[in-house]
Parts: sequence; C-alpha cells; structure tokens
Amino acid sequence: MTESGVSPDDPLLAFDRVTKWYGHVAALTDVSFRVGREIVGLVGRNGVGKSTLMKLSAGLLRPSQGNVRVCGLAASSAGARRVVGFSPDVERLFEELTAVEFVAWMLRLHGWSMRAARDRSREALSDLGLAPNMERRVREFSKGMRQRVRLAQALAHLPRLVLLDEPMTGLDPVVRGEFADTIRALPGRGVGVLVSSHVLPELESFVDRVVLVHQGRLLAEGRVADLRERVPSRPHRIRLRSSTPRDLAARVVTWSQVRGVDVRGDTVDVDVVAEPGFYEALTELGFAWPGAIHEIVPLDDDLASVFGYLVR
Amino acid sequence: MNATPARPGFVAAAFESVRQSLLRVVHRRLRYVVLAYVALALLAWFGGHAALASGRTEGRQLFCVVAWWLLGTVLMPWSALFVGIQVVHGPIEDRTFQYLFLRPVPRPALLLGQWIAASIVAVVVSVTAACLLFAVVAARPGLWPDGLDWSLLRTFAMTLAVGSVAYCAVAAFLGAWFRRPLVVATIFVVGLQTLAANLDVSAGLRRLTILDPLRRLVIAGVEPDPRLAQALWPAERDPRSELVGSPLLDLGVLTIVCLVFAAWIHARTEYDSRERE
Repeated sequence: MTESGVSPDDPLLAFDRVTKWYGHVAALTDVSFRVGREIVGLVGRNGVGKSTLMKLSAGLLRPSQGNVRVCGLAASSAGARRVVGFSPDVERLFEELTAVEFVAWMLRLHGWSMRAARDRSREALSDLGLAPNMERRVREFSKGMRQRVRLAQALAHLPRLVLLDEPMTGLDPVVRGEFADTIRALPGRGVGVLVSSHVLPELESFVDRVVLVHQGRLLAEGRVADLRERVPSRPHRIRLRSSTPRDLAARVVTWSQVRGVDVRGDTVDVDVVAEPGFYEALTELGFAWPGAIHEIVPLDDDLASVFGYLVR
Repeated sequence: MNATPARPGFVAAAFESVRQSLLRVVHRRLRYVVLAYVALALLAWFGGHAALASGRTEGRQLFCVVAWWLLGTVLMPWSALFVGIQVVHGPIEDRTFQYLFLRPVPRPALLLGQWIAASIVAVVVSVTAACLLFAVVAARPGLWPDGLDWSLLRTFAMTLAVGSVAYCAVAAFLGAWFRRPLVVATIFVVGLQTLAANLDVSAGLRRLTILDPLRRLVIAGVEPDPRLAQALWPAERDPRSELVGSPLLDLGVLTIVCLVFAAWIHARTEYDSRERE
C-alpha cells in the first residue's frame, strides 16, 4: 500500500458487473472492464451510456448494481477522488475566475497550500500552452482554450487515473495533435487514461485499447486489430493498386468471395464478402501474374469501421 | 508521481468554499442586489422630504416603517434568497458542481462554505442598507424632536443580520433540493410564510416562519408605542412584548434544520442523473 492507501497492484479502474438505472431505464447493463497504466478509448454513439460510465468512474454517480473501484477503492470515496482527474463534458467553467484562480481553487480542495496551488496551476496551464492567457478570466476564453483549462484542472493535482470525456471537441487540428501528445505521455508516468471521443480516427491514433459500448452494454474491448479479427465474416473493402487495373478487376470480380469492384485510375476497390479464401486467391494471383498488384491497402481496418460492423 | 498533500479536513474545505464563493458572488451577483438597495435609498430620501413637508411623521416612525416594510419584508429576504440560491444552486444549474464534487472533500463542507459566504454578503448588504437608511433619515434633524434614537439602528441592524442568515439557510435548502428554487422561494415568502406569520398569536405555526420571529425581535427592541406597532403590523391583534418568546432560538432551530437537510440532500443527490433532467 502507498501512503494514500492505494495498492500498486490494483488496476487503476475496475468495473465489476456494473448496472446503472435511471428510474426504469437501464443506462448501463452488466459492464465489466479494467484500465491499467495505459490509454483506453471509450467508443460509442451518443446516448449509449459513455458519459454515465465516465461519471461512475469519477464517483459522481453510484452504480445501482456492481462495483466501480479506482485503485482498489470505491470510486465515490474521498480516497479515490484524490487520485482521479476528470475532464467532464461540461461547457461552462467558473467564468468569473481567471484560469489560474480556477485551477488553483481545485488544487486547494485537494489540500495544496495557497502558494503551491498557484505555482502548480501556472505550471499545468503553461504545459498546455496557456501561459500567455492564464491570468485572463475564463469567460473571455475560446472553446479550445476552455478545453485546455479543463484538462489542466484534471491533471494539475497529479492524478493516477485521468478520465477525459470528449476532450477533442472544439479543438483545431494543431491543438488536437498537441493534446494527443500530452495524453500519450501519461502512461509513461504511471497514469492510466480513459478517454471517450466520437472522433474515432484521432482516438485510434493514441489509444492502446478500446472499450466499445452500445445500448448500455459493453460490446467488445481490446486492441483495434484484435477486435477486427473477431469479425472475420464481415464485409471488407480492399484497395489494390495495379498497372492494369481493368484486367485485374475483370479477374477478381469472378471470385466467389467478391461482391463487387470499383475501378478508379490505377486502383481497384474490392468489396470482399468473406476474407478467408480471398487473401489466398490474391496471393496465388500475385504469383501467377507478377507485377499485376503493386499495393494492397485495407480500407476499413480503422476503429470507426470496426465499431460500425460490431454495432450492425 | 510526486506525493500529493493530505486531503483537507471539513473545516479547511468549508473555509476554501467560503473564500471562493465570496469571490464569485462579488464578481458576479452583487450588482443586482446593490442596485435594489440604491433604489431603496432614493425612496427613503423622497420619503423624508414628504414626511418633513407633512409635519405629522417623526423620524422614528419613518425609519421603522421603511426599515421594516421595505428592508425587513422585501429587500432583505429577496436579496438573501437570491444570493443564497445563486451560490448553492448556480453550480448545479450550470453543471460546474462536477468540478467541486470531484475533489476529496465532503460535499456538506462545500455547502456550509457556500451558505456562510452567502450569509456574509447578505448581512453586509442589509446592515449597510439599514445604516444608510438611518443616515438619510437622521440627516433631517426636524424629524427627531427628542433627539436621534440610535437603539432603533441597533435593533434593525441585528434583526436584518439574523434574518439574512436564516433566509440564506432556507436558500441553501431550496437550492440543494429543488430544480426551480426561486419559484419555491416565492411560494414560501409570498404565500406560506405570509399566511402563517399572520395567524393568531397562539399559533405555533408562526414559529416555522422567519418573518414572525423577526417581527418579535423588533417588538422587543423598540420602545412600546401603540401607534408604531399599528403602523408596523396592521393585522396584529396582540403585539405585546411579553408574547415575544425566544425569536433567536426559533430562528436558530429553523436555520440548523434547513442546513442539516440541505447538507444531507447535497451529499446524497446525484445532480447529474438523467432522472433529474
């Protein structure tokens, strides 16, 4: 056990058969998963229970059934709240305060002294590129700047688990890249991250694993590539680059595994019905017809496509 | 990761909540309250003119009537309720409470701090208003044939201060519990409290209001004067000082009960639950 009563062996976040009811509506049903010192993406459409799951993790909601534990402690306990940083999907901040005042106030509620809180809040805001603006009132901030203030208050008290609810919303591409870099660095410092986003390609670029939620249930969890393997019978789109695309298309379209082809320039996009057998046939074709295929690019191995297939 | 400091205790968290809530109120909400009191000062000024011109009203009576009817029954209750509800319910309304509830401090400590901050603001504003009103009326020596009566200022300042604290406790309770606390506050002040406070002297229900104990505090504080008593409480049938009882105790009980319920609700309610939306 550490001084905060947290065992280093405990998972940073553990959902154990968690169900959450709002009246007669089940927002989450029997959800179990773990987050260690890694970045886990939480994926799901609007209204499927992502925010409920985040708030349960942060201890803002209590589960109707099951347990949510942070570093081995009940998520709603004061001990767990010490080690959690949460950036909620809430537009407003304490508008009349400056960014430094706001973050320092949050640190004061974590027990930091007045001076240490101000110094640390300046440091956290500077790390996120807000140094020139941190003495301005939050009400004057743009959406992107507010998002960074939210992240600063989530990171300033050096939490062990960081929860980020839609952190990319409202950020321009450059800031998104910087944001992703900041988050990517956290597991190296022993911090676990659970991040929800509907910008799936960006999420995919920096998460280690994903948890897919649909209609309040955990649909799947694991690495994106592993998840794709779990749905071998799904249709699949593959782009073949060739110097003789029309001839290639004429050959490929006759295969039983292929539903259709689309020739554009030097590329042939192939709709594959069943992957087993298709790649073997493609390999044989490559041997029999050297130079016919220059490149093979899967078009829908990305997170969005996998999620779409799983949901369907 | 560096070791983080020990989490703050109840008192430290409440103190921090007071400090920050005061900062927020002063930045944001105070201008409306101050505007209302400026209107009161202007009204008192013109009232003094009219009283002087009529020659029938004394400064004592003018101060008591304006201080009670305008400050004691309208401006002080509404400003205390407004500030109290904004401080407690504002973060719930705009969902910024999430930032506070994430911290390792007890929610009742945050609420207690918010109530203390709202009370400080309401007390300072209402007592300052009483002092200004007294100064406006005292500035006309013709209205005080027997000399200035400073005990009136003391009585009303104390009454308004105690009333502000109690109304802020009611505001904390309403703000923690209801989704439309200002509407409920209106029903309480205009409807329930006014009805109950004007029941017969023997009615125990009067003790559950703030208006009646405040009225009894004023009765105990001002010199017996049937004409003044009639001006202050036209509906009162028996305004004798021996019926005053223990208004401070009644207000203290009401304040504590409201705060205990508010803290209990604050600690248990899932404000972000979809059930509430």
